[in-house]
Amino acid sequence: MKIVEISHVSRVYKVGDHEQKALDDVSLELESGKTIVILGPSGAGKSTLLNLLGGLDSPTSGTIKIKGKDISTLNADQLAEYRASGVGFIFQAYNLIPTLTVLENVALVKEIAKDPLSSHDMLREVGLGEHMYKFPVELSGGEQQRVSIARAVTKNPDILLCDEPTGALDTETGVMVLKLLQSMAKEHGKTTIIVTHNQNIAKMADVVVHVKNGKIKEVINNDKPLAVEEVEW
Amino acid sequence: MLFKKLIRTVGRYKAQFISMIIMVALGIGIFLGFNIEWKTLEVNVAKAFEDTGFADYRIMNERGFSAADVEAIEKIEGVTAASRFLSVTVPRKESDDLLALTITENPAVSGFKVIEGEAYDSEDAEGLWISERYAKENDLSVGDTFTMVYKNIEFSGPIRGLVKSGEYLICLLQEGQLMPDYQKNGFVYISPAYMKRVIGITFYPQINVRSDLDKDTMIAKAEEALGKTYMVVDKELVTSYSEAHGEMEEGKTMAALLPVIFLAIAVLTMITTMHRISISEKTQIGTLKSLGFKDRRILRHYTTYGVFIGLIGTAIGVGLGFLIGYMFVNPHSVMGDYMDMEHWELHMPLYSIAVIVAINIFLILTTMYSVASMMKGTAAEALKPYAPKAMRRMWIENKKAWKNLSFATKWNIRDILRHKSRSFMTVFGIVSCMLILIASFGINDTLNSFIDDFFEKSMCYQNKITLDIEQASNADVDALIEKYDADWCAELGIQIGDNAYSMQVYSLDHGYYQFVKGHGEYISLPEDGVLICERIARKENLKVGDTVSVSVYGTSEKYDLKVVDIAKSISESIMLSKSYADNIGMNYQVNELFTNVMEVEDSPFISSSQSKQTVVDTFNSFIYIMFLMIAMLVIIAVILGVVVLYNLGIMSYAERYRELATLKVVGFKDRHISRILIDQNIWMTVLGVALGIPAGVGILKILLVMLAGDYELSLTITFTTYLISILLTFGVSFFVGLMVSRKNKKIDMVEALKVAE
Repeated sequence: MKIVEISHVSRVYKVGDHEQKALDDVSLELESGKTIVILGPSGAGKSTLLNLLGGLDSPTSGTIKIKGKDISTLNADQLAEYRASGVGFIFQAYNLIPTLTVLENVALVKEIAKDPLSSHDMLREVGLGEHMYKFPVELSGGEQQRVSIARAVTKNPDILLCDEPTGALDTETGVMVLKLLQSMAKEHGKTTIIVTHNQNIAKMADVVVHVKNGKIKEVINNDKPLAVEEVEW
Repeated sequence: MLFKKLIRTVGRYKAQFISMIIMVALGIGIFLGFNIEWKTLEVNVAKAFEDTGFADYRIMNERGFSAADVEAIEKIEGVTAASRFLSVTVPRKESDDLLALTITENPAVSGFKVIEGEAYDSEDAEGLWISERYAKENDLSVGDTFTMVYKNIEFSGPIRGLVKSGEYLICLLQEGQLMPDYQKNGFVYISPAYMKRVIGITFYPQINVRSDLDKDTMIAKAEEALGKTYMVVDKELVTSYSEAHGEMEEGKTMAALLPVIFLAIAVLTMITTMHRISISEKTQIGTLKSLGFKDRRILRHYTTYGVFIGLIGTAIGVGLGFLIGYMFVNPHSVMGDYMDMEHWELHMPLYSIAVIVAINIFLILTTMYSVASMMKGTAAEALKPYAPKAMRRMWIENKKAWKNLSFATKWNIRDILRHKSRSFMTVFGIVSCMLILIASFGINDTLNSFIDDFFEKSMCYQNKITLDIEQASNADVDALIEKYDADWCAELGIQIGDNAYSMQVYSLDHGYYQFVKGHGEYISLPEDGVLICERIARKENLKVGDTVSVSVYGTSEKYDLKVVDIAKSISESIMLSKSYADNIGMNYQVNELFTNVMEVEDSPFISSSQSKQTVVDTFNSFIYIMFLMIAMLVIIAVILGVVVLYNLGIMSYAERYRELATLKVVGFKDRHISRILIDQNIWMTVLGVALGIPAGVGILKILLVMLAGDYELSLTITFTTYLISILLTFGVSFFVGLMVSRKNKKIDMVEALKVAE
């Protein structure tokens, strides 16, 4: 089943009088349940693509369909609803709420998601059962990213969007986080889209999308994705 | 290059800079305005007194002083000048207008200043020098003929000059009058030669003295010089002096109270805002440092902001201060309705300059301190963004109830506790707003109830007739009482120890007069004792059940009176019933009648009549002035509330930007986020209002004691006042909350969640 259908999408930013094309007539279709890695150098437009998919931003032209529904014409409230149930975000900087405990950070999404999972279960699943009542600052970076994963999955979305999820972590922790991400996605049947400039991560993907200068250079289907452990870091 | 940065940074934090400038300007403006008020009065009143030789002491003798007496007084060492003096209240011919007909032998004492017309001539037996103010109000000019009638004697003549006199700076000629009425009241000076021509003799019951001696010395020396004890009244008891100085004291009190609140808010706003700006500038400070700028240079750069805010705020504040000062004190203001003064130039006390300089220095130091604390350590340390204190678990979280709270509630509670200084400032701003509203509306309520109690309800008659006790025999008085179907009062001057008071004997068969116990609470006179007013009770340390000894002024009579109750009174009085007075064998002479008859026939026994309506009307201008002041305070309170809350709102918004962006990314709608913010706003407002009400009532109490201790006001705050104050405060808070939360829509999620560099 096609979960993502992007057709002729452009995103133009205006900086003063100057126009900057972050995405230039991009079309892309992605299958449900796969792990997709979007690769490219910085400034290629991969984060813009991710933001559009996540409903954080709207395209200047073109359509984006998620599960057949066009999200490019939604208003602010409808976009919020889409973000609340349709996608889960995992950021490089975790973006946890510092004034809420680990559990509260995760449980927070239950107030808005349509069909959320148990936040307790999810925290146990990511191995933070012991740290539920701590505040984010009391956790290490890897642990914080795990909270962020738990928060994203608890919403029970169709798609997990990860923006350089290991960017702020050392290799060892990064591998653990990726492993967790892969297993969570498999177990809960989520489509995972990871944006990165790290070539190695691409080896674990079902599909690798190369982006450069606001255009999709090539889409490579990987028949034999490696397990995280098998990738050489 | 740094200058460019300076300008752009100001642009970036324009909301903060503007609110700091507004707060500094408001703080300085109000502080200066209130201080200009009393200082202007002080300087100009002193000038008015000096220009016209206002007397320091008045020696009284009902039988009159001789020329030898005044010579003896003038010889006293320490006496600059003395003058025999006469002032009687006289009606204008064919009119209700009353004028103080005045003669001073030596024009250097209790004299006048000619504003227009001829100089004073003591040999001029024809001309009059009339109050300029009264003349202007009645279209009289130099050369017109003016006529007064006193005891069937006409005092008439051409107006020689329009004058002002310190003696009549506040021209109150009638009992119970609070505001002068320059259209109906004035004064006229004539020469001794004039008096001699018209009455055939000269008669001076008073010697007015200019002297630096203290009161006890003056009394002793006067006794020595005159060989007899006479009553010596110092200037503190003269209306023009005491009321004018009362105004200055009130002004000083107000200046010490209200402006301090504003200055405190200005200072606190500066501290918190500067701190917050430094926090968000921390990486920039670090960048400059890592580029090789010296600490001193960076400090100087950032200190420029403090100087910039201080200078602009001070400039606006000083302008505002003079404007406020002018609003209070100018010839067309209420003060102008009150005082008949020549000069009205604005003056400010010297120390206000010191305070303004101190505020600016403080502002600079605050800036330097905030920046220095961000600059501490190595360049690398300075480069790191400011790390707020880590969250710790609070006791409250161990309670079961905590778990059941919604996310929004938890988030708000933690946010409030985490940013204690911001929360404190928010509550402080709301408390101040509420406090000023309650106190200003409360003053209005209290004055309204004062008028209601003492005039509308206490005076149940329509007309008051003042008798001429020197002309009327007891039989004449009885005839008048019957004719006008009147209740009556006999007033006696008394002394308790050395203090002079008034005592009134009442016969109130018609119930034309009631005595005020408290707001809306009236009592009648006891049969077995006296009522004393609160001030006498306080000054003489008397309570119900005590016996007080009074001696009647000018006689050897002494009475022991039993205090039965304490009442409120406009004048410092002891009040008793005719039956009690008769029981203890007191001598008195009826001098006032209370009646419902409006038409009073001319009679040699009646000196004047005054309708209740006239008395109530004199309050209208008084009330109007109060209304203006209150309107100003209310506007300031609202501005203050909006500025403080908006400033804090914007700052907290900036601080929480990332968190709010996260909520938005996670899927919270703008409305939902707004509600969380507004919720917090409402909590703070409820808390602020709850604290602001008692604070406002407290301030009002202090104000009443300090400003109006003379009137025995009962503190009154109506339900409407509470309601309006609460609604206004909530309105301000809600309005600001909406303005801030509207910005949610503008949160740029992509930008906000980028990795912090």
